[in-house]
Amino acid sequence: MSALAVTNVSVAFGGVHALSDVSLAVDAGQIVGVIGPNGAGKTTLLNVVCGVSRPDRGDVTLHDIVVTGWKPNRIAGLGLGRTFQTSQLFPGMTVLENLMTGLHLRGRSGLLAAAFRTPSMKREEAEMRGRALAALDFVGMRAFADRRGAALSFGQQRVVEIARALIGDPTVVLLDEPAVGLSLPRVAELDTLVRRIRDERGVTLLMIEHVIRLVMGVSDRVIVMNSGHKIAEGPPDDIRRNPDVVEAYLGRHGDARHPAP
Amino acid sequence: MRVIVSHRAFLIVLFAALAVLPVVANQYTLFVGNLMMLYIILALGLNLLVGFAGQLAFANAAMYGIGAYGAALLQVRLGWSYWIAAPCGAVLAMAIGTLLAFPALRLSGIYLALATLAFAQFTQWVLLHWNSVTLGAGGFPVPQPEFSALGMSPDRGIYYVSWIVTVVLLAFAWRVVRSRVGRAFVAMRDREMAAQALGVDLLRYKAMAFALSGFYAGTAGALYPAVLAYVSPEGFDLFQMVLHKAMIVVGGMGSIAGSVIGASLLVYLLEVLRQFKATQEIAFGALLLTFVLFQPRGLVEFLKRYAPGWAEPLHYAADRESLSDITAAEELVAGSRGGAGR
Repeated sequence: MSALAVTNVSVAFGGVHALSDVSLAVDAGQIVGVIGPNGAGKTTLLNVVCGVSRPDRGDVTLHDIVVTGWKPNRIAGLGLGRTFQTSQLFPGMTVLENLMTGLHLRGRSGLLAAAFRTPSMKREEAEMRGRALAALDFVGMRAFADRRGAALSFGQQRVVEIARALIGDPTVVLLDEPAVGLSLPRVAELDTLVRRIRDERGVTLLMIEHVIRLVMGVSDRVIVMNSGHKIAEGPPDDIRRNPDVVEAYLGRHGDARHPAP
Repeated sequence: MRVIVSHRAFLIVLFAALAVLPVVANQYTLFVGNLMMLYIILALGLNLLVGFAGQLAFANAAMYGIGAYGAALLQVRLGWSYWIAAPCGAVLAMAIGTLLAFPALRLSGIYLALATLAFAQFTQWVLLHWNSVTLGAGGFPVPQPEFSALGMSPDRGIYYVSWIVTVVLLAFAWRVVRSRVGRAFVAMRDREMAAQALGVDLLRYKAMAFALSGFYAGTAGALYPAVLAYVSPEGFDLFQMVLHKAMIVVGGMGSIAGSVIGASLLVYLLEVLRQFKATQEIAFGALLLTFVLFQPRGLVEFLKRYAPGWAEPLHYAADRESLSDITAAEELVAGSRGGAGR
């Protein structure tokens, strides 16, 4: 049984086929990496999975429930979390509030509870605060709890965003280029963090990434995309040796330092 | 010089002063105090919608008018008691306001501003021209509710009603923005896609923000005929919209205390400039533009910087992107007023 399955999905924007008949399955507890040159359809794939884009054909299945066409907030309610390519931290909130917003679906209090400060609302707030602080501990950012989102460095925002995506205990998390713009030591930290997310929290991960070292290092399986098609799939070592991949993505001479445009 | 004043102390002092005002003030000052409270309610409601939930709506004056006309017409036409008619007017404005959440699902920024502005102009047109119901451009007198049982004049009685309503609505807004609902509002304002990915139901929370804002404007409107003993369409025209907007921009977008500061200050200015009717509009347009251009986060930003004790907890302010949208919309409204050829 797979935690997440994409079956024969196609998406076109006008005349551009962003995804053509793409299928993939991620088993519970796996880390699957998705690589491919720019414009390969990787982000579209993530958007289809989380409900931002609607596929023209095909289905998305999360824990054996077909979620095609659902709104993102409803899919999130089934246990799907995600991060974004550019920072999507809420800049007007503190780091702590950002994380508490990540617990939105775990709370119940509405306007009336807020108006009367009911005991259950106060309890819920205290509990959210506690969990938010614990999540900051998990990523080593507790000292920044009261900073504004906008006041953090790029790398810090990344890490807080990952914590925010994880705090509601999702079962499947999509990471959209978590290492983009990070320095090498930061990438190494991210490597450890991604493994910990899977090992300590049992989260299934689908990760788009350009930093080959990170993808090849942490993924159980790697999927390669090019021009909206899935061109290869397999364990990292096979992918490295796959001639199609080497040509389409790593460059004709297989030199990762000079990838093809 | 650094002044130590907390936002909480400021609000307590202001409302204590407003509470004792009837004892010391003449009738005119009492009226201005009452007006100030109506605008505090209006600014709070608009700030919840625009400053916190990030929905650039321009229909606040229309909701205000619907509340006022609802309360007034139910009394005059159907002979209802003010105490029944007023809540009905507020609820009517809330219901109509909630419907504006539907265009807000598809439109954002300047496009939503345009759609809601069109709605506001339509409302104004209905008030002006649907003579058989709204009694047309001249407006009509409305009897003030009686407070003789309490030994008070109508003016003084409605003043205390306004005071209680304002304090309750202020406390309510205060609590809402510090709750799970408030966080969903700000999340929606700052990063709509991320908010949705975290499970925030946009339809639900946009509807909630529009409903709240409609209820606040409608409540201020329902108090209006009791305070002025008269309603007419020009009380709810585009100038009112600019005024409400100016209040939250000058006070501080995304700040509860800022809404109160902006409303109080601008009502005071409005009265100072009342003799020069033409200068009012110019002065408010200029004030709005000055703040949008040079201090888009409003006076609370100064207070945060120079009054160390201010510290409004969890004080939100819109980021650059959403502020630039608002600037564009302000210019649009300023332009459309110029082009209206009044």
